[in-house]
Amino acid sequence: MNAQEVLAALKDALGEGLRDPEIRTRTVGIKSPQTIEEIWGRIDRDLLLEATQALKALGPLHISIISGADIGEEIELLYHFAVGFGTEGGEVLVTLRLTVPKSAPVVPSLCGIIPGAETTEREKIEFLGVTFEGIPDSRHLFLPEDMEIHPWRKDEPELEKFVKRAVKWEERNG
Amino acid sequence: MAEKTFEIPIGPVHPALKEPIRFTFQVEGERIVGVDIKPGFAHRGSEVVGTRRNLIQVLYLAERICGICSISHPIALTQAVENAAGIEVPPRAQYIRVIVSELERIHSHLLWAGVAAHELGFDTLLHLTWKVREKVMDILEELTGNRVDYAIPIYGGVRRDIAPEQYPQVYEMIRYYRGLFEELADRFLNDASVEARTRDVGVLTYEEAEALCAVGPTARASGLRKDVRQDWPYLVYGDLGVKAITPEDYGLETRGDVYDRIIVRLLEVAQSIDIIERCLEEMPEGEITSVPKIPALLAQLKKAEGEGIGRHEAPRGEVIHYIRLEAGVEAPVVWKVKAPTYSNLMPWVPMFRNQEIADIPIIAASIDPCMCCLDRVHLVRGTEERLVWKEELLKLSREKTRRIRSRITVHGSRVTDHGGKA
Repeated sequence: MNAQEVLAALKDALGEGLRDPEIRTRTVGIKSPQTIEEIWGRIDRDLLLEATQALKALGPLHISIISGADIGEEIELLYHFAVGFGTEGGEVLVTLRLTVPKSAPVVPSLCGIIPGAETTEREKIEFLGVTFEGIPDSRHLFLPEDMEIHPWRKDEPELEKFVKRAVKWEERNG
Repeated sequence: MAEKTFEIPIGPVHPALKEPIRFTFQVEGERIVGVDIKPGFAHRGSEVVGTRRNLIQVLYLAERICGICSISHPIALTQAVENAAGIEVPPRAQYIRVIVSELERIHSHLLWAGVAAHELGFDTLLHLTWKVREKVMDILEELTGNRVDYAIPIYGGVRRDIAPEQYPQVYEMIRYYRGLFEELADRFLNDASVEARTRDVGVLTYEEAEALCAVGPTARASGLRKDVRQDWPYLVYGDLGVKAITPEDYGLETRGDVYDRIIVRLLEVAQSIDIIERCLEEMPEGEITSVPKIPALLAQLKKAEGEGIGRHEAPRGEVIHYIRLEAGVEAPVVWKVKAPTYSNLMPWVPMFRNQEIADIPIIAASIDPCMCCLDRVHLVRGTEERLVWKEELLKLSREKTRRIRSRITVHGSRVTDHGGKA
């Protein structure tokens, strides 16, 4: 599989919904150099399930991780998919980016299509305060169940207290 | 007759993991009917800490995410940063990175094999495996200065070259492991009690492994030909033609059980030895870093703007790092790290289903090769509670091995004592 095929399938499924699509290339290897292509694009949250279905139709689909960032008034989520493992150099990395407002950080869950996405979605619930509609299990995973703060939110005042407390403790022992 | 379901919490400290974790098993009699997994007891907030440090400091931090795959995270991180900042890596440095990561794979898989033998109550094999593991530890120390935390990758290259006088020692290690491989494989794979304890135990089917996004030897033992080194070439892995190993490469049908995970890891030790030998032969002379001066490197990284992904096939599977850099900011704006066990958490659930309590240690260990101390198991039966210590759970596992041994005739096993004290 190559990046052009994957990008064409995504464009077919999403049309204008796939914004700023981009293939980033670089060369790896010394003796027999080959070109590695990554797909990056931006979508609306309403198209996430369609995009995932389109990728799944292409071959074995792996979700590496969902990265997330607080970018002010919005939360950005980056879905890093790997499409088509199992052949030499045949895997294409696809990163789909979407933003949700902090006032309603709701995203559809991928668990219906990729059950293995549950771990990374649960991590985003506790760390960024995102809600995933349709996730089978929304309990905290890494953080204690009663921890109410979302540590990756930049406007989270409680986090600073955590960090400063740790520094004070280190100094006392130093 | 409907049996009553009891809950057995195990952990948060458990012998088969480097991290503390809590399993809550639902059991009917001796049979496990469900499990709930709760990690996070050692969550250090590395990503938050990393976004408050400069990139050189982040590299040190990444190296300390895991003590066993202490080169895997730096390799993924340096690739992510190099992709984001457009930094080239000299050919020789790429080969050195590959050599050290394959050395790490050998030591990690041998460590795991020893742990697996111990969990089965086969301590003689544990001692044998860990004795032969010392050879690769010596080479790692010789080449990098350390047995763990090798501090080899830096953005734009590596920090230490392999000197000509060190080559013979590495070749000697290659001969040593080649000579031993048959014997190791024989003792693990042709031993009747090992087979009885691991065949059809902790099964993860192909479909489950694919749907749950399993990675590494766990996925390959279920028949998925999934290996980042093969699927998504990076460094010089594309040149080396690395192929994912499944039990079929050993001439057996894939069953996705613990025995298959032993096969895959043992074959990967042999594969890593071949890779190291080829790297030594093919490695060109030349620079080992494109930006040798750290202040210049820091200044270049501070100016960099962009985002990048780095991936690596660690001994346990896919590691991925995502990084975002902004010009004028020393620290990364976003840093996301994923370790292989993260992806292998969910595949644990089907593995435990319908298994016996005595198989918990070996199934838990079958995913992750690290050893730490199990504090206790908190056994709850109705209102009656008691503590089961590590020794008691190990005793259960060992008694099962002895029961099996008394039922089967052991042919061809040269190791006669499967006992040993905890």
